[in-house]
Amino acid sequence: MTASRAKVEPVTCLGCGCVCDDVNVQVSDGRIVAVTPECPVARTWFGDGSVPERVLRDGAAAELSDALTEAAALLTHSAGRVLVYLAPELSTQAQRTALALADLLRARVDSATSEPAAAGLLAAQRRGRATATLGEIRNRADVLLFWGVDPTTRYPRYLSRYALDPEGSHVPGGRRGRKVISVHVGEARGPAGAELEVTLDPADEIGALSVMRATVLGNALDPLPPALQGAARAAGELLSARYAVLVHEAEPSRLTPDPFRAEGLIALVQALNGPTRAALSSLRAGGNRSGAESVLTWQTGYPLAVDFAAGFPRYTPSTRGLASAGAGVTAVLIAGNTAGLGADASATLGRVPTVVIGPRASEAPFTARVAIDTGVAGIHEAGIAYRMDEMPLPLRPPLSGRRSAAGTLEALLTVVHQRLRERST
Amino acid sequence: MSSRDALRITGGSVHDPANGVDGEVRDVCIEDGRIVERLPQGAPTLDANGMVVMPGGVDIHSHFASSSCNHARRLIPDEHAANPALAPELLDGETPARSGTGGTVPSTFTTGYRYAGLGYTTAFDAAVAPLTARHSHAELDDTPCVDGGIFVLMGNDEYLLRQIEAGERDRARDYAAWLLQSTGGYAVKIVNPGGVEAWKGGQRNVTGLDDAIGGRKVTPRSILETLADAANALRLPHPVHIHANNLGVAGNAATTLASMEALAGRRAHFTHLQFHCYGGGNGQPWSSAASKVIEYVNAHPEVSTDVGQVMFGPAMTITADAPVEYLLHKSSGRRWTNIDIELETGCGIVPLTYKDKAAVSALQWAIGLELFLLSQDPWRVVLSTDHPNGGSFLSYPALIQLLMDRSVRDERLKLANPRLLAGSALADGLAREYSLNEIAIITRAGPARLLGLTRKGHLGPGADADVTIYSRETDLAKMFATPRYVLKQGALIVEEGQLRRALRGRRLRVAPGYDPAVLPGLKRHFDAFSSVCFANYPVQNLPGDPVPVG
Repeated sequence: MTASRAKVEPVTCLGCGCVCDDVNVQVSDGRIVAVTPECPVARTWFGDGSVPERVLRDGAAAELSDALTEAAALLTHSAGRVLVYLAPELSTQAQRTALALADLLRARVDSATSEPAAAGLLAAQRRGRATATLGEIRNRADVLLFWGVDPTTRYPRYLSRYALDPEGSHVPGGRRGRKVISVHVGEARGPAGAELEVTLDPADEIGALSVMRATVLGNALDPLPPALQGAARAAGELLSARYAVLVHEAEPSRLTPDPFRAEGLIALVQALNGPTRAALSSLRAGGNRSGAESVLTWQTGYPLAVDFAAGFPRYTPSTRGLASAGAGVTAVLIAGNTAGLGADASATLGRVPTVVIGPRASEAPFTARVAIDTGVAGIHEAGIAYRMDEMPLPLRPPLSGRRSAAGTLEALLTVVHQRLRERST
Repeated sequence: MSSRDALRITGGSVHDPANGVDGEVRDVCIEDGRIVERLPQGAPTLDANGMVVMPGGVDIHSHFASSSCNHARRLIPDEHAANPALAPELLDGETPARSGTGGTVPSTFTTGYRYAGLGYTTAFDAAVAPLTARHSHAELDDTPCVDGGIFVLMGNDEYLLRQIEAGERDRARDYAAWLLQSTGGYAVKIVNPGGVEAWKGGQRNVTGLDDAIGGRKVTPRSILETLADAANALRLPHPVHIHANNLGVAGNAATTLASMEALAGRRAHFTHLQFHCYGGGNGQPWSSAASKVIEYVNAHPEVSTDVGQVMFGPAMTITADAPVEYLLHKSSGRRWTNIDIELETGCGIVPLTYKDKAAVSALQWAIGLELFLLSQDPWRVVLSTDHPNGGSFLSYPALIQLLMDRSVRDERLKLANPRLLAGSALADGLAREYSLNEIAIITRAGPARLLGLTRKGHLGPGADADVTIYSRETDLAKMFATPRYVLKQGALIVEEGQLRRALRGRRLRVAPGYDPAVLPGLKRHFDAFSSVCFANYPVQNLPGDPVPVG
């Protein structure tokens, strides 16, 4: 027997927030066998494309229709006390439907990024921000400053595809046409090989950002303490740019940065747009996390932490993520992949009846009341997803034949809506 | 009732200017979602006795379904918190009604419901970057009750600028057609031609029609000419939609007139004209140049415009004209978002409040009214506030009242700062009051005609059965804010002033043909400079059929 082998291109990868849409995927006998160009994050994210296809009730196999009925019963019974959690690896279409459920159930709703990304999102609400799409960085950035981050590990192709190496329409020399400033903040180091390196003690971080902003605004700061002199030099380099781009980790996973870092960076970049042009590039994780914020914003006006209990969206940014699952919440709907949930969240979800619909739902690190496995957005499921710069891209799944998350959530919405209508008549 | 049912609207005074009907009491018959000549005896009736019947409103220029709007939404949690929107109590129950939030940039479902509540059933988002078209269509999917479309930004597009520089105007035309088709767009939009590219490239802006953009042999004039010719050659239903250079700058009326003259003889739509009618500058105080500009418009039938009226109160400025927003941020000290969008355009956002005690705001308000009141052809000078830039679409009823009732207008004028109003025709006294028929023209028949929407903006046989029925009120603002009935595709979506049904809107887009020979060069351009693969650029699975061109 000859194995069927096919090449699918260009596929969009949701492995990180770069959402590279130029990936070639080799499929053989329904399994992914190769992913090019080489990228460790993409390789891990695609895997071989196999996902479980189970439907479970309290851990035991069940029929889909029974599971949906039970899920609807649980959620409608708890209406007003439900948490809907938008986990990663959903298409935007599925996220929209999950939000419709939240609205209908008067639920609290939040997404996987509200905790790590909140500082930046809230700062941008206070100040606005100056940013650019990834292609604009590629085409124009002649000075790049990395603030305590080397994108190489979490975003392997950020430098090679977008920010540093490629030639741009206004930077014909590629890397040779760009100057790199690497700012190390404590253990959080910028990339190697920079033209200028600045080392900061974390305690000096906000002071350094203030000095840089003052320098950009033309306010003399002399003499400066030695610890901040490097920052002033970096600001001078930024002022020499035609188009400066500052890069920071907007979703830190390990090292907790100063909560004012994001605001300081936003203010600095805004100020740079007086004497020159500048943009802030916020590195965001994959799995269409940015899409969740986008949908939340267009449907409710708020990018995170929304509570529908009053019958309309209320903003509750001080209570974020799954932390609210313990307070008055009697049922949880998780839409998406639960793999990234921490031990605390999993323990909480073990105590509250939970419905999980999404990729690998049956492998959730707690026993869900109902778990329905679906395909993964971008691997098995079409639709759109958002890049870290909030550009929407199409998903071109190389595999098919799995249960769709969007379709399953739609089916649940129909049952829940029907039940609520019956209850109100 | 569903959209398939027949209905005879009886007893109302019908204002259907496209068909020469000016307030006659006559029946309007509906079947299968369309207007029909007649219905059999015994067909269900809707009693509109004593009421005013008009086609559904058509908004020719609004910002309500774009990534820029979404960035603006994110910027105003305070406004949203102050303006919560409960889900309406719908009668059909087939689709869950959705809650949301208001403010200057409401959430999507609330936007659709509020447009419908105002009697508007068609609206266009006037500024969408091609790369973000997919987002706009997703927002439109979540904006019920209105048929919607998008205008596609092209006036600072890198590929287009390169074609103009190379003298390849046919290729530029084919590119424009490909872009419209690929994005599901409806019209070609130009914002500050060349100025946004100048902002991104460090030149900051352009000021004159013959300024070189980034040191190239491309000028605002060549962009205007190329895209106006492209839209006309492609026989698009709507001509090129132009936001001219120097928006919001004292003395910009000269640029506006030069832009119109540059396109003399060509069909072109100049949008939010109020923002482009300022005198003064060069050390002289701001003043109104509305009379001069509207005189040109009156004399040139190929030119059309929407006014972009400023209304006192909160607004949100959202525009691809990013350099203007930077200046607004610096002068107002308000929050500022700027997004540079690769190869295509920019985006700037600043929340703003127009205060009647502020001299420039008062001047802007007066200029908009002057344009309306000095216009000799309501079919070519139609209503907009450039929502939410000059004010929310919810302020249209108050604007209509200002146009129809001189006494209300004069009272409002007394409250406005007079410092810059010397020489303003409004301050000198304009007696004109719009009639109901003229209101029907500037809010539905005119925009529909300018957009080339043959089934919108009128109540003749074959038209979409989008109908708005108003109870007569002495308070005209109240009358236009709360229609008694609104029908969309023949279905009653507003009854007794309450939203009762939330039909999914239809998509209005065009798909003009182009020479496929343009594609290989285009692909090379994408491969060299875009962060998105050429194959992934076109939006797939667009709903509905395109509106025919030609």
